[in-house]
Amino acid sequence: MRLREVFRYELTHRLRSPSTWIYALFLFGVAFLMIHIQADGDGLVQINAPEQVALGSLIAGMVGLLVSAGLFGDAAVRDLEAGMDPLLFTSPLRKIEYLGGRFLAALTVNAVILIAVPLGLVAASHMPYLEAAAFGPFRPIAYVQGYLLFLLPNVVLGGTVLFTIAVLARQVIPVYLGAISIFIGYLFGVSILSQTDHAMLALLGDPIGASSLNAMTQYWAEAERNTRLVGFPPNLVINRLFWLTVAAGAFAGLLRRFRFAHPDVGGGRGRPRRAEMEAPMVRRDRVAIPRVAGTFSARTTARQALSVARNAIAEVVPTRVFAVVLLGCVGLTMLFGWDVGSSVFDTSTWPVTVLVIETVLNTPITPIFYLLTTVYAGELVWKERDVGVAEIADAAPVRGGIVLLGRFLALVVILAMIHGAIMVSGMLIQALQGYYRFEVGLYLRILLGLHLIDGVLLAALAMTIHVIVNQKYLGHLIALMALLHPVIVGESGLVRHHLLLYGTDPGWTYSDMNGFGGFIGPYIWFKLYWAAWALLLAVLATLFLVRGHQPGVRRRLTQARARFAGPVARVAGVAAVLIVALGSAIFYNTNVLNAHVAPDAQGGPQAEYERRYKQFEHTPQPAIAAADLRIEIYPDEPAADLTGSYRLVNRTDTAIDSVHVSFVDPNVEARSIAFDRSASPVLEDRETSYRIYALERPLEPGESLRLRFDVAFRPRGFPNSAIQTDVVGNGARFNRSWLPVVGYQRAFELADDEARSRFGLGPREALPNPAEVGAGRYRLDRLDADLVDVSMVIGTSADQTAITPGVLRRSWTENGRRYFHYETDTPISFGGTVFSAGYAVREDRWNDVALSVYHHPAHPWTLDATIRSMKASLEYFTEQFGPYRERQLRVVEFPRYGGFGVAHPHTIAFSEDYFLSRVRDGEIDQAFYGTAHEVAHQWWGGQVRGATARGHGLLTESLANYSAMMVTEKTFGPEVGRRVYDFQMNRYLGGRASQSREAPLLEVEDQPYLAYRKGAIALYTLQERIGEERVNGALRRYLEKFGGGGGLHPTSLDLYAELRAVTPDTLHPLLTDLFETITLWDVRATRAEAAPTGTGAYRLTLDVVGRKVRADSVGNETEVPMDELVEIGVFAPGEGAALGEPLHLQRHRIRSGVQTITVTVPRPPGRAGVDPYRRLIDRDWGNNMLEVRE
Amino acid sequence: MHLVIRGLFKTYPNGTRAVNGVSLDIPRGMFGLLGPNGAGKSTLMRIIATLQDPDEGSIHLGDLDVVRQKHEVRRTLGYLPQSFGFHPKVRAERLLDHFAVLKGIAEPGVRRDVVESLLRQTNLWDVRGQKIGTFSGGMRQRFGVAVALLGNPTLIIVDEPTAGLDPAERVRFLNLLGEIGEDSVVILSTHIVEDVEELCSRVAIIDGGEILLEAEPSRAIEELRGRIWRRTVGRDELPALERELAVISTRMLAGRTIVHVHAEALPGAGFEPVEPDLKDVYFSVMAGLHGRRAPAPVARAAS
Repeated sequence: MRLREVFRYELTHRLRSPSTWIYALFLFGVAFLMIHIQADGDGLVQINAPEQVALGSLIAGMVGLLVSAGLFGDAAVRDLEAGMDPLLFTSPLRKIEYLGGRFLAALTVNAVILIAVPLGLVAASHMPYLEAAAFGPFRPIAYVQGYLLFLLPNVVLGGTVLFTIAVLARQVIPVYLGAISIFIGYLFGVSILSQTDHAMLALLGDPIGASSLNAMTQYWAEAERNTRLVGFPPNLVINRLFWLTVAAGAFAGLLRRFRFAHPDVGGGRGRPRRAEMEAPMVRRDRVAIPRVAGTFSARTTARQALSVARNAIAEVVPTRVFAVVLLGCVGLTMLFGWDVGSSVFDTSTWPVTVLVIETVLNTPITPIFYLLTTVYAGELVWKERDVGVAEIADAAPVRGGIVLLGRFLALVVILAMIHGAIMVSGMLIQALQGYYRFEVGLYLRILLGLHLIDGVLLAALAMTIHVIVNQKYLGHLIALMALLHPVIVGESGLVRHHLLLYGTDPGWTYSDMNGFGGFIGPYIWFKLYWAAWALLLAVLATLFLVRGHQPGVRRRLTQARARFAGPVARVAGVAAVLIVALGSAIFYNTNVLNAHVAPDAQGGPQAEYERRYKQFEHTPQPAIAAADLRIEIYPDEPAADLTGSYRLVNRTDTAIDSVHVSFVDPNVEARSIAFDRSASPVLEDRETSYRIYALERPLEPGESLRLRFDVAFRPRGFPNSAIQTDVVGNGARFNRSWLPVVGYQRAFELADDEARSRFGLGPREALPNPAEVGAGRYRLDRLDADLVDVSMVIGTSADQTAITPGVLRRSWTENGRRYFHYETDTPISFGGTVFSAGYAVREDRWNDVALSVYHHPAHPWTLDATIRSMKASLEYFTEQFGPYRERQLRVVEFPRYGGFGVAHPHTIAFSEDYFLSRVRDGEIDQAFYGTAHEVAHQWWGGQVRGATARGHGLLTESLANYSAMMVTEKTFGPEVGRRVYDFQMNRYLGGRASQSREAPLLEVEDQPYLAYRKGAIALYTLQERIGEERVNGALRRYLEKFGGGGGLHPTSLDLYAELRAVTPDTLHPLLTDLFETITLWDVRATRAEAAPTGTGAYRLTLDVVGRKVRADSVGNETEVPMDELVEIGVFAPGEGAALGEPLHLQRHRIRSGVQTITVTVPRPPGRAGVDPYRRLIDRDWGNNMLEVRE
Repeated sequence: MHLVIRGLFKTYPNGTRAVNGVSLDIPRGMFGLLGPNGAGKSTLMRIIATLQDPDEGSIHLGDLDVVRQKHEVRRTLGYLPQSFGFHPKVRAERLLDHFAVLKGIAEPGVRRDVVESLLRQTNLWDVRGQKIGTFSGGMRQRFGVAVALLGNPTLIIVDEPTAGLDPAERVRFLNLLGEIGEDSVVILSTHIVEDVEELCSRVAIIDGGEILLEAEPSRAIEELRGRIWRRTVGRDELPALERELAVISTRMLAGRTIVHVHAEALPGAGFEPVEPDLKDVYFSVMAGLHGRRAPAPVARAAS
């Protein structure tokens, strides 16, 4: 009865409050925007596919925790804030009636306004301007499921936790901290759970239901995602029920703990507070009050600002809440920073300072900064009013702007302390991991420099909003959205210019090699510009600062108008002038000196290139046979000059009367182009940089001519984004794309279909089918060169080494610069890649091949592994495939602006991050594996270069990955080999679920998850079934046929023919499954029972279900009969999740459907099942093995 | 220094007329603003204290326009609002020092002296290191006075300062106010008549946002002399008495009811004349028998 009254009272209050409906609007907006961000993606999955709706509900619900924090926090704290608690607490209300009523009312309201989420999702899907093709049919049930499975249970759980915190803490800040910890706990939970093998833990461990959803849908292909409803699967329902029980338990605990009492008495934890004291006013002495009037000078003003700041800090910092915040920051930093930079193969790297900072700042901690800034900005704006001192302070002779400045300073100090906490814990991570190069200066520069500056700008925005909104909870919400708007808007791609997104900048990357490089200048320009805006915001806040009682919008406006005078107006003027001046300067850099291309104009010149000159694609053109280059690098400018000549040979059988020359990189300037025979320009297209020269005397077949050129790279000012990293202070790296290109090149066409249609181009012409091409003349990449003799002189600053593929003939110093002359022994694939940096070199030899690793002096960790891998790889590949044809092999480090490894002829380049990896127990040696992969490319892609056709990736990446797997397994043993295999398998299955359309391996196009992952799986599986010698023998024959530089370029079918030739007929179906089709297996064990035979042995009965399907490119599956040999394994009991010693491991014939297999094993079995090592491509692997029952 | 208020109006968005045409001249010294709860005292106080803008009218403190030159007025203003709190975790001396800076006492040495003497004056010196959260109501009130007195204010506004104080506290508090109020304009708003009676050289009675009487307390009392009559009555006689006579106040004394009646001549048997006090003035004014709400004396004479 009384419960109903409490409930009714709270409900009425909530429903009448405008903030409730603003919250609903907010949720609607979040859901609505989410669709827009998704619609911007390239997704093949329909945006309103049931699985996406479920996911969207889940994520919007997480954001909705902020609303819950407002609703539940208010319901719990309002009585205390209003001072109504003594009246309520002394009424005959029982705890359950009071708390229950409040809680249920908040929950009801929250549940109702959460309906805004599905409404927002539905509304956005029906917006006419969104591409209708991206959406499937409207399925109401999908939204109901999202609401019932995720939104509702999560708000019950989240609301209970937040309400409990609010009631016990009697404050609002802990509630928001609670909301963020739920969010972070969830993210952390997901990452932990994804690694656990413990089924129960994985099922129940995630309070939000995201892992359950993900586990269910992770390997669904496109077609499944679009049609399959999430339904109410038992796992998910159990998870939901479990967490609802937890919520009920938490509430019961709250009821037990809560006391109707004054906080000083009922507080419980901590030391008892002092009771009120009394100092009676007994006049003992008469003291004259000094007649000191205030003096008001600039000095006083400064002191006032500082005093306000000091006072505000004294109120916030010594509190228990703030201690929790700092500890939380330390904890989260440790948590998220611990596995710094887990890169490929989940190998850890050394906790190098920049990686620690980046890992921490780029992880889920980021929302904390936004939230803390918002909450503390609100706290500082509201504190005086909350404690009731506002009227006194407002009547003090302090200008509004000074009060704000003081509080702002306090906020900056608070943010700085938080950053300090992160810094300390970052060093703690390093020390605990045995890494002692702390780089305190770098910590200070990034955390208390760059990142704090960002924070300070956001703080100004948050405070201004709190002042203007003048309603605490609503202020939190609006401020948070305002802080996030650059992220959200930036993500949506609507606005890209950093002059328009508050507080943003072109971005920066710190590199051990190159420091902050060229990023810091533009950063400062943009930050100064935004600081001017922040000043303007400060003026705005000053104008609207509430002093005393000034209700009503109109009165505040009048007051603001009155305040806009004197110093305030002058500051506004200064800010406006600065904004215009700095903005213009930046605009001059980004839009005049550099081209700022609107997002939808991106790719315009490429489209023009194709539209105008595609007609010349098959016009006979000479090929580059030799290149003679002189390259001057000026790292400090930065700038580069590239001069030289090509020897062009007519390798066609007709005479050529005109030469087409173009430059594909708009950032270089062609100063001159000349031929060694008279030629006249007939076309000079500046826009696409395409030129046609008519030769006075045609170039006859076999005849050659020389093309001379002079190209300059002179970056001017700075752009809005993508600051150039080609030529930098230390670590220049650029390639042929700056040099002239001969003839029309397909490789430079616009690839993205969506962009193509924007410029009125049809879908890109598909790569030819390998069957149509045959082993012929087509080459991938550029058609103007196959193998080229290169002679290159590179000049750079005196303290740097320049490197390019070729043999170093000579190096000398001239005019204070160093020069290097490289020349090739035999013609190479012409990539023109040049490196220049202050390198240290590790040298070694393998037979008569000189091995060298050019590395940053501070990066010594992976050198041994790299050298070891080079040797092992050369050894294995030479023995198995064929000889290495060069006299040297190099590895070169370049700055981490690009994070990859790439193989050039006898020169392998890795970005910095590769040089930071280290191997811990149970991890794969990334430096070793990566090097082996790139060394393998010296054969696959180097010696044999495939034709331009589908299936090309099989000839390069698949073979390189297979080769690397074999070397790794030979070196580290089968256990590690298995780990690499599992890694490839997970990447393949994950890739096919999330990425572009799938194709059979033989026709793979631009799909790395196929070329790298599935290709390696297929070749490795084949090697297991028919033997390493047979597969490698096939590869050897393939290499002999297409290797020797004879101009023959194979297709995937040529390789496949060799593999078929060594595979027995009985296994040809397997080849079909792996290479010609997309085949998936689903095998599982459904029964495993053992009975002793009486002789000490055990007779094991195993029920096995087999199923095999073929998928089409979007994942529609058709079942096909299964009939093949699959491993059956019986294992002794092992430790934990690990399998014990195998007692029986043999291939048995498994057909579609259920079959019973009996085997006898000599000892008591622990686990048994089918395909224990996941040799088959099986998405649902968890059900392969069973515990054996007696 | 002299505070002049002319034609002040303030209406809240919900229609409440909190200040309805107030004009006052407030000289140096203690000025009492007397009125029941909800009379508009606090609104008037806040307007004078620069914390609220009037809809109409002007206030001048000497040459300063209080409505427009807020900042200048604040430099010379001491304000103790009706209800306030302090950051509970901050120590008294530290907080007073903070307010001293806010009030423009920038020199550290001077500030230390001022803070010390004010803490001594308000008898808080011994507890200067305590957190304000541990203070009793009276101590907090005294601390508020200390804050209000910082910076040698020429205009001091104290709004209901004695509410919630025990009698002894109240007396001491008023003494303190009396001492400091000699050289400034001190406006004391209260609904407790004794506060004003004991301290103020001038008083205004306000109700419904209007000033009903503005006078020196002694003169106001003098005007009532011979018009206030007292009688002790039984409880059952009271309603009849109230119907027939202008009863301005009743109070219980030892179980009997004592009635004060306003009348030009002896109202009837059993009444005796009393020497009026400020309370009688207040109640007469509130009852509409005296001051601006009263019918014009001429009309009354005619009846």
